[in-house]
Amino acid sequence: MTTSPLLSIEGLQVRYGAIEAVTDATLSVMPGEFVGVIGSNGAGKSSTMRAIAGVLRPAGGKVRFDGADVTGRRGHAMVHLGVAMVPEGRMIFGDQTVRENLLLGAYSRVMRNDQSVGQDMDEVLELFPRLRERIGQLGGSLSGGEQQMLAIARGLLSKPRLLIVDELSLGLAPKILDMLFPILAGLNARGLSILLVEQMASYALQVTSRTYVMENGRTMFSGPSRELAHDDRVLDAYLGRHRSD
Amino acid sequence: MGASIQYFLSGLSIGGVYALLALGFSMMWSVARAANFNHGDIFMVGGMGTVVFLGLGLPVWVSAVLAILIATIAGALIERFLIRPFNREPNSVGWMLTTVAIGVMIVGASTALLGSAARPLPSPLMDEPLRIGGAGIFPQELLLPAVAVLTTLALYLFQSRTHLGRAIRAVAANRTAAELMGIDADRVTLYVFAVAGGLGALAGFLVAPVIQASTTIGLAFGLKAFMVAIIAGITNPAGVVIVALVFGVVERFIEGYFSTSARDAVGFSIMILVLLAFPQGIFARKEVAKV
Repeated sequence: MTTSPLLSIEGLQVRYGAIEAVTDATLSVMPGEFVGVIGSNGAGKSSTMRAIAGVLRPAGGKVRFDGADVTGRRGHAMVHLGVAMVPEGRMIFGDQTVRENLLLGAYSRVMRNDQSVGQDMDEVLELFPRLRERIGQLGGSLSGGEQQMLAIARGLLSKPRLLIVDELSLGLAPKILDMLFPILAGLNARGLSILLVEQMASYALQVTSRTYVMENGRTMFSGPSRELAHDDRVLDAYLGRHRSD
Repeated sequence: MGASIQYFLSGLSIGGVYALLALGFSMMWSVARAANFNHGDIFMVGGMGTVVFLGLGLPVWVSAVLAILIATIAGALIERFLIRPFNREPNSVGWMLTTVAIGVMIVGASTALLGSAARPLPSPLMDEPLRIGGAGIFPQELLLPAVAVLTTLALYLFQSRTHLGRAIRAVAANRTAAELMGIDADRVTLYVFAVAGGLGALAGFLVAPVIQASTTIGLAFGLKAFMVAIIAGITNPAGVVIVALVFGVVERFIEGYFSTSARDAVGFSIMILVLLAFPQGIFARKEVAKV
């Protein structure tokens, strides 16, 4: 087992003006791995993901993808390298149809005339039949759950090697989460590497194989998700045991 | 009655110029949340450039294409060097200063070089006026609103039917999300500023036979077009064109029934009142987004 990581970040820092959102984030994702990042609100999880995806410039540290130093590359360049992010809040283009949103997901591939886009479009629509029913509707008219499906489908259409999902559960009903988490697990089973940031630790620990815990802008510790689900530190802080607030 | 038709038609004509300029403001603002405040001077380059190249013995169409090309490149350069570096944070205002400054420089340099006299641009469409209901109007004048409306339609088709057009809309809606789709938002913005520059110069070329070209013409046109865009709701191109045409007509009626000197005072006053009534613009779009 000497494969090198697909993604690794080391000592990553993110600042918003004078505010340090991330002081030291260090983590890695092996090829084919499903990795989770849990932690409370404001722990710096999303900022870390945004810095990896290139929509935020890190103030320090290194981002390596597939062996190459890609620190500070911009968002579109990261997509071309094979990193897609389903952003927090989904960021659906509300004034464009579901179909147009999906085409935008495949933007760089359509621009270089990739002939397999149509076939991939069919595949994601099979994964999310609801989107097929809504294909001509404006993105802004979809329900929250449908928008999350669209955001994932759109991310997949860039044919990423690493899919980053930032706060999948945000604002969604448990019924929808019970459908979406297994879909991510299925994508991972088919070989896609996934990095999932999730405030609902219980869900994340069920589907991921390894989990990092972030607190106050730092990655504190990590371990196999199955073990962390029984770890006292995790149970107390994130799974609601002995809650005394 | 004949006079009213006259004012209406020539108002549409000048409104067409405002429309093409305001459309440029709308395009620039949509993708960058900033605009080239010397857009009026880019417009001037269209007319003056054509006249100058014509004077060098080039055919009129070549002259116009060259002038528009220069304006297109200027639009791109202004975005790259005077707006992008000064628009890095939300609510940046540095780009206002830089673009106003370059405008002053362009006007100063071209006036020093070419003089401030107005120069005529001959056009076969200014030979014979058309008679419409007792009013007389040159085909060149009617060309302006026609080109403005056709440009808006073409723009709409481009943005809804082509991949690059959808990318432009994506950048306008959410830059971060667009980048996450693999769209180089900076490059798309540069393209849009280039096209806006070209459209501005096209307006300058088309109107030159009607009002003559001069180096100082840009400020008033640019300012009015920007106000029109704001009043209309700057991110709505169709609304911008409608308000521009209406404003052109209103101006002509003020000229006709009051006086030419009252035109700007009354015109701007009306715009300010409308802005009070519609702070977001008359045709401002409701954001369709669910979180």
